[in-house]
Amino acid sequence: MEAIQTFAKPKIIKDHWKAYLLLIPSLVTFVLFMFWPFLYTVYLSFFDWNMVSPTKEFVGLQNYIDVLKDPITYKIFCNTLIYMALLLIINCAVPYVLAFVIDLVLSRFKNFYKGAIFLPSVISLVVGSILFTWLLNPVSGPAAIILGWFGIEMPVWSKLDGWVITVLSLITSWKIFGYNFIILFASINGISREVIEAARLDDIPLWRIFFKIVLPMSSSTGIYVFIITIAQGLQYVFTPIKVITQGGPNYSSANTIYHAYHEAFVLYRTGHSAALSILTMAIFLLLLILEFKFVERGIHYEN
Amino acid sequence: MKTNPLIGLSWHLVFIVLIFILLFPIIFAVGTSFRPLEDAYNNVLQFIPLHPTFENYEAFFTSLDVARIMMNTFFIAAGITIFKVVTSFLAAYAFVYLDFKGKNLLYFLFISTMFIPFAVTMIPNYLVLSDIGLTDSVWGVMLPQFADAVGIFLIRQSMKTIPPSLIEVAKVDSIGHWLIMKDIVLPLVKPAVTSTGIWFFILAWNEYVWPVLILKNVENFTLPLALQMYISSEGGTNFTVAMAVSVITMIIPLTLYLFFQRYIIGTFTSSGIK
Amino acid sequence: MIQFENVCKSYGDIEVVKNLNLTIHEGERLVLLGPSGCGKSTTLRMIAGLEDITSGSLYMGNKKVNDVPSGIRNVSMVFQNYALYPHMNVVNNITYGLKVKKIPKAEIKKRLDFALEMLQLKGYEKRLPKDLSGGQRQRVALARAIVKQSDYFLLDEPLSNLDARLRVSARKELLRIHEQFKQTFVYVTHDQIEAMTVGNRVALMYKGEIQMVDTPENVYQRPVNIFTAKFIGSPPMNILDATFHQDRLMIGMQSIILNEEWIQHIFDSKVKNFAFGIRPGHLEIVTVPQKNSLKAKVKYVENHGNNYAVYTDIEGSEMIVMSDKKDWYPGEMVYVNPDSTKIHLFDKETTETIGQPVVKENKFLNRVLV
Repeated sequence: MEAIQTFAKPKIIKDHWKAYLLLIPSLVTFVLFMFWPFLYTVYLSFFDWNMVSPTKEFVGLQNYIDVLKDPITYKIFCNTLIYMALLLIINCAVPYVLAFVIDLVLSRFKNFYKGAIFLPSVISLVVGSILFTWLLNPVSGPAAIILGWFGIEMPVWSKLDGWVITVLSLITSWKIFGYNFIILFASINGISREVIEAARLDDIPLWRIFFKIVLPMSSSTGIYVFIITIAQGLQYVFTPIKVITQGGPNYSSANTIYHAYHEAFVLYRTGHSAALSILTMAIFLLLLILEFKFVERGIHYEN
Repeated sequence: MKTNPLIGLSWHLVFIVLIFILLFPIIFAVGTSFRPLEDAYNNVLQFIPLHPTFENYEAFFTSLDVARIMMNTFFIAAGITIFKVVTSFLAAYAFVYLDFKGKNLLYFLFISTMFIPFAVTMIPNYLVLSDIGLTDSVWGVMLPQFADAVGIFLIRQSMKTIPPSLIEVAKVDSIGHWLIMKDIVLPLVKPAVTSTGIWFFILAWNEYVWPVLILKNVENFTLPLALQMYISSEGGTNFTVAMAVSVITMIIPLTLYLFFQRYIIGTFTSSGIK
Repeated sequence: MIQFENVCKSYGDIEVVKNLNLTIHEGERLVLLGPSGCGKSTTLRMIAGLEDITSGSLYMGNKKVNDVPSGIRNVSMVFQNYALYPHMNVVNNITYGLKVKKIPKAEIKKRLDFALEMLQLKGYEKRLPKDLSGGQRQRVALARAIVKQSDYFLLDEPLSNLDARLRVSARKELLRIHEQFKQTFVYVTHDQIEAMTVGNRVALMYKGEIQMVDTPENVYQRPVNIFTAKFIGSPPMNILDATFHQDRLMIGMQSIILNEEWIQHIFDSKVKNFAFGIRPGHLEIVTVPQKNSLKAKVKYVENHGNNYAVYTDIEGSEMIVMSDKKDWYPGEMVYVNPDSTKIHLFDKETTETIGQPVVKENKFLNRVLV
């Protein structure tokens, strides 16, 4: 059989330019406002500059050394860790259990609960900060008054070291709890009913079902929620910090992200800010690796 | 589910308490916003206004050009939404239906943008926008936000639920990608695109971190920035006005939520991250 | 005409289609049959251009089409799940492809009306796929394929989602379409009955290789290897180990005496170890032993509606025999009589048939077996 003609239109090359055309808008945005700035910040971290003067002074690793030797930095890193711990407990562990309960234990009002719990997620965290600042006002706020009935005096949380982080974490949690809850609920809801029913027929207690069946089967979502709670939680906290305490009292409510902002736009020490940001990136890089290792695989397997 | 009814009841109680904690602040804010200041001071817990008044709202509207601020907020939110949705849809289509060199690498890069914290990009972005004179302008707020990896992710998930044979039938009929995108894929992912869009709108409306850096003059503010002016950590002198401003800031997102609740929650449940 | 020349298809290390050589004639209905994973769908998709060809050449109408995009191959395809556009109504689903090709409206209307008429879809024009039954959706998928008026009609298990009754009427429709348009049909199925009723020729595939390509009659009556023999026919052909000793075929301790032509044929084949094949319908259970009867023990009886399948044990191997009677008891010893004109012998090593002996032409009976 001889071939008289060959219509070789190479399909692969044809696809290439179309794909790039479709990707360019997003790609350009990301390169201009994410990747290039990241590189520039790295560059800035080796200079001493106050954002206005026309010259920058090269200082090598001095900024990093300054940051690492500064006792405030340690305080801030500790704060960051405490924020992470609080945010994870409140917004990762608790919603997991509740999502499980709402899916498998309760039978009525489910949609109402879901809708109500998610509601704060659509509200600005500035609004949340104002609301809670007033509600938790240690002198004249409603919470203080109610506690007063029981003879308890409300601590002036905005001035107290441990309390301030706790309250700011709670305010941030108010907003992100619902979001995490819905995502976890979706994952648990997606577990085949038959698996659960088989376990119930075998008379396995609920808590066992949670730990041995539900948790493993929703683990890729669980890890995703863990990751974004840290990645986004730490950034969300910026808002209440800026609005309410501005990092105070005495840096005890600041986290690394807020402090980097503070260094750059209040103290005008861009070098310090950049160094601190880059150091913080280490955490986020770790999270990125976790995301690809555990989450993307979980999603790809269906393909 | 046959469980001990007492256990069921106690869990219901847990949820009620939780919802109370989450929603009470809003109810309190709405009620208090209609109370005159003295009233509110003297009887803090009484959040249902006995003598409702608009004075707080009037105070807000007279002290600031609220109409303009709301226009700013709306323009920014709408602009960001449109750009993000369009760029995300196009990119998602490329990742799902086209084969090209560097596909995996690019996808990795796109997803990685979700892990670049604000602090790492804020200085250079500020400097660049400042250099081209876009500080204190709505475009300065919008420009860095023309694309979003989350949008790409969500729309891509939705596209993956379309049976591949639908696209294959079109290919066999020699229908080109542009038409497949417009006539086949887009109509089928409309729910996901719509709900992603609504979510982006709400997020942009509520945004604080980037606008507070870029916008300087009050008349260019967005609502959250204007709101911030009414806060002080001491509890503030005029907290009833603060409540009124909060309510105004909440209205649009809440209204969207009330109408599109299914859609919005659906974004994260069905096509969502599994 | 479609021709596969040494075509191989692999996904990474996994070879899905191995060295395929197949010619599909113009206007014929060729069925690709086989169990799941045998490569039949992949082969069909290679014709459609939906799968790349790893090596070898594919020709359609004398032109090499390895790199030709699907859209230009002049092919219509019907998928197992029909692949109807859920958001378009029946008319739009059927005509969308034509509109894109900018075929004049009058022509589109003509083809549409014809298809709607032929497939009894008049009255359903405005409906969406979700408001159609399975059978109706299938007909819309067919209509969409017909209006394209292409030379090649590819069908990937188009009937497997229909219930049994609908399948019969759908099959008739397919044959009508072929009658009308005379395209080249390439049809994939795992159902052998469907294959035998639809196909002019059947290409049986297994593990990426073609086992046999021939008419349904030949595939049934003259299987060229053990796989084919066992796959076609229900209940499947009995296959037992056998050896040849002098003039007898030995099955365990028992033997069958064969006629001269067979003995010569077996001797000529030089095969030592055989697989002996005979269909359950070509065996008979008798209570009184005859010349070639084999002694067997009844295991159990299956009710097949108009007759019974009796599962027996002969020398440790299973032998299924069709019988009109059902009163054979488990454990009972019976005699099984084979129809000696319906014996198949296969080389145990190569699994290929050793063929059938040539019977001397008998002036009275005028019967020649090849």
